[in-house]
Amino acid sequence: MNAAVISRREFLISTAAVSGGLAISLLTPAAGGAPGTGPAEVGPWLTIASDDSVGLRIPNPESGNSVGTFAAMLIAEELQCDWKKVSVEAPSLNRDVREGNSYALVNGTTSAWSGRSTTEKTMRQLQQVGASARERLKAAAAKQWAVPAAEIEARDGVLSHGTRRLRFGEIAAAAATIRLDSEPAIKTPKQWTLVGRQYTGKLVDQKIVNGSAVYGIDVRVPGMVYGAIRQSPVHGGRLVSHDFAAIRNMPGVLGVVVIDPDAPRQRLKTPANDGESFAQSAVVVVAEHYWQARQALDALPMKWNDGAGARWKSTGQVNAAVVAELEREGDKIVQDLGDARGTLAKSERVVEATYVTPFADQAPLEPLNATALYTDGRLEIWHGGANSVQSFMVGAEEAGLPLEKVHQHQTLLGGNFGRRNFSDDLRLAVAAAKQFPGRPVQLIWSREEMTRQGRYRWQTAGRLRAALNDEGLPQALLTRICRTGYGIAGIDNIAYTKFGLIPNCRIETRDFPLHVLWGSYRAPGYNSYAFMMESFIDECAHAAKLDPLQYRLKLLAECPDPGWERCLEEVAAQSGWGNTLPRGQGRGVAISNWGNWVSKDPQSGTTAAAVAHVEVSREGALRVLQLDLAFDCGQIINRDVVTAQMQGGAIYGLNMALNEELNIRDGRIVEGNFDEYPMLRIADIPRINVHFGALTGHARFSEVGEPPVGPIGPAVANAIFQATGKRIRSMPFRKHDLSWT
Amino acid sequence: MKYALRINGRDHQVDVDPQTPLLWVLRDYLGLTGTKFGCGIAMCGACTVHLNGSATRSCRVPVEAVRDMAITTIEGLSPDHSHPLQRAWLANNVPQCGYCQTGMIMAAAALLAERPKPTDADIDAAVTNLCRCGTYPRVRAAIHEAAGQAAADSKVRA
Repeated sequence: MNAAVISRREFLISTAAVSGGLAISLLTPAAGGAPGTGPAEVGPWLTIASDDSVGLRIPNPESGNSVGTFAAMLIAEELQCDWKKVSVEAPSLNRDVREGNSYALVNGTTSAWSGRSTTEKTMRQLQQVGASARERLKAAAAKQWAVPAAEIEARDGVLSHGTRRLRFGEIAAAAATIRLDSEPAIKTPKQWTLVGRQYTGKLVDQKIVNGSAVYGIDVRVPGMVYGAIRQSPVHGGRLVSHDFAAIRNMPGVLGVVVIDPDAPRQRLKTPANDGESFAQSAVVVVAEHYWQARQALDALPMKWNDGAGARWKSTGQVNAAVVAELEREGDKIVQDLGDARGTLAKSERVVEATYVTPFADQAPLEPLNATALYTDGRLEIWHGGANSVQSFMVGAEEAGLPLEKVHQHQTLLGGNFGRRNFSDDLRLAVAAAKQFPGRPVQLIWSREEMTRQGRYRWQTAGRLRAALNDEGLPQALLTRICRTGYGIAGIDNIAYTKFGLIPNCRIETRDFPLHVLWGSYRAPGYNSYAFMMESFIDECAHAAKLDPLQYRLKLLAECPDPGWERCLEEVAAQSGWGNTLPRGQGRGVAISNWGNWVSKDPQSGTTAAAVAHVEVSREGALRVLQLDLAFDCGQIINRDVVTAQMQGGAIYGLNMALNEELNIRDGRIVEGNFDEYPMLRIADIPRINVHFGALTGHARFSEVGEPPVGPIGPAVANAIFQATGKRIRSMPFRKHDLSWT
Repeated sequence: MKYALRINGRDHQVDVDPQTPLLWVLRDYLGLTGTKFGCGIAMCGACTVHLNGSATRSCRVPVEAVRDMAITTIEGLSPDHSHPLQRAWLANNVPQCGYCQTGMIMAAAALLAERPKPTDADIDAAVTNLCRCGTYPRVRAAIHEAAGQAAADSKVRA
């Protein structure tokens, strides 16, 4: 092992000369080559060519939140290159697997290859790549000029010492031979000159606005054919029969593929949950063109065995069953502080409310799709998955091939919001392509198929009971949640419960498994649970006859994280909280946190508070006039991107609260397209003000895309109460009669 | 059926079923993938193109209906993103995932051609495309900017 290559820091850096330039790779000790050979040159992160162009291989797929561009900026910040000469491509996973897992092993598959690049470890890793390359360039120039490297300045892709100049490209090949005694320290955020200071949009934006950006659905491969798919209308059902003869002679039809979920398959340890990526029983019609495949699919006679899910005849039946379960004690006790049940039993001031939220679909605008080319012993895939490793491994699973035989091409994502985390669309494309060896198959889901075959934000019921003390504050809180799905962020991570601000607090959950498939979302579940918690706190404030904002501030008086109070005070001051409003108008406030389970530090995750200002006509027509948001994510890197994410998150949260609902009939999802699953349009969007005054500057750069979806719904519901006196205890709000006299 | 189509000022020949929606002719037969598929029922606007200058959702227009029309797609609006809307889009960092944005820009371009100084109400009425990322505040700001007018007190970004 060559000791000179080993970093004294936590990373190993290796260099190589490629085509007259420099390639920098980064790997962990665990990712070294064969024993005794030292670290191999593995899938470079960074290359500098003799023409000064800087190529970065960034493993974060771009789904719209700028992570890919941001990752590139972190490298460029340290490298001191000319940002205009930077280009980005996805690294080859196939090469990564064959040559030592430089990318996946350094950071763990899930975070390195998915939509986050501001975790502390990822940031350090990216910066180290850039800093290591810069110091090697400096050292090579120092050798040539016979001056100390420390006296050389690197800026905008040029090295200088006195009057001497060298472009990066001129010295890159020499830099590849440099061995550093130790790896350089990386900059602190205060030293940044590019990251957070100069932002000209995402690297891909120019291609987006002229239509040349390539999403999964835009992939074109010579000889490609198209597939249209229908999966069991009731999740978990099975195909009984189909009649290919009926469509055999339709234009362009090449064949039908039946996908059997029960067929034996290779299983690998994939980064995302396994179940969500499994195949449903399905039929794919393959044709020369997509429209032909769609027409033939619609004409194909199919018979399904609906299976156990068909017993759920209606949404009402499901809701009644879930709410009935709230009568029973939870099967899991999430928190049990003091004696909530005893305190409630003795109390004379009890507030109780039950809330229900429905299934909801992420509905990214690009329909699910994937392209696969299967030939004997080799699979090539093109996919806009949110996690490249997930796509890569699901492809291998379905093809029954080792990872070394899978070649994956990452595309842009036309929206994600959690729906592209699982690569179930890719699995089905591979299954179809296996039946057409040698022909690339692009499988495109219709919007209806996508809405009905989702991995949904799950349906949830919650009951909260509070005993109020003499001041009107909750002395005890008993929360019961009945649902399927992941955790209960919005309930158990909120300052009142997390920090023991309510002295007697018991949180119970009860699982309610349904056949309907569920998965990630823009903050899965959190939007439902924050709605329950913050609507309920508002009900408590009303029972105590206290201003809802003051009530929360009182409740948070002993909160160890100052961000909560600051968010409320900032959003109140900026929104005009307390100003008199005409009849039929109201303001509501809510606050919640997403992500604070990542650290034991009280200041973690991102706390977001919202004030909604609404107007409700006597006839009950609701108009949201304004949303104000204040938040504490610690520090921010890019004000413009943060603003965009907060605006987008607010709109997403608003649509969820006002509009989104999937219904069940005979086990099937009823809604199919946007005529049945309404979305806000530009005319519906209120004024949205994003305020930066609540940032506490804590150490982290916590995420901002998901946190705002939590407080929007309850803030609007609480505003509706102020305007009309009507409490909204279920989503979507559009289903409620809001008329008043 | 063989059709001669005039797209972005150039003639194209295609041999397709007469009922094939223009969207799929553009994408699958001609490789013009800037026009997007989002819903297939003319609800989302991702497939917006100009037919004789009018913004039209191409997923529900059969190819036989556009034979004699001048068709403009995003690729023909300006390939070097020099259209005032494209420049305003970049200046305001409008796109998030970007998938709906070509349709959004085409809808806005038809609006500006008809009303060079649109009001907020004009935008509300003409740009009814769906964006799931929530770029709407910046879409509005960019249209006003492209129209060369201050977005004074309109519902623009913070």
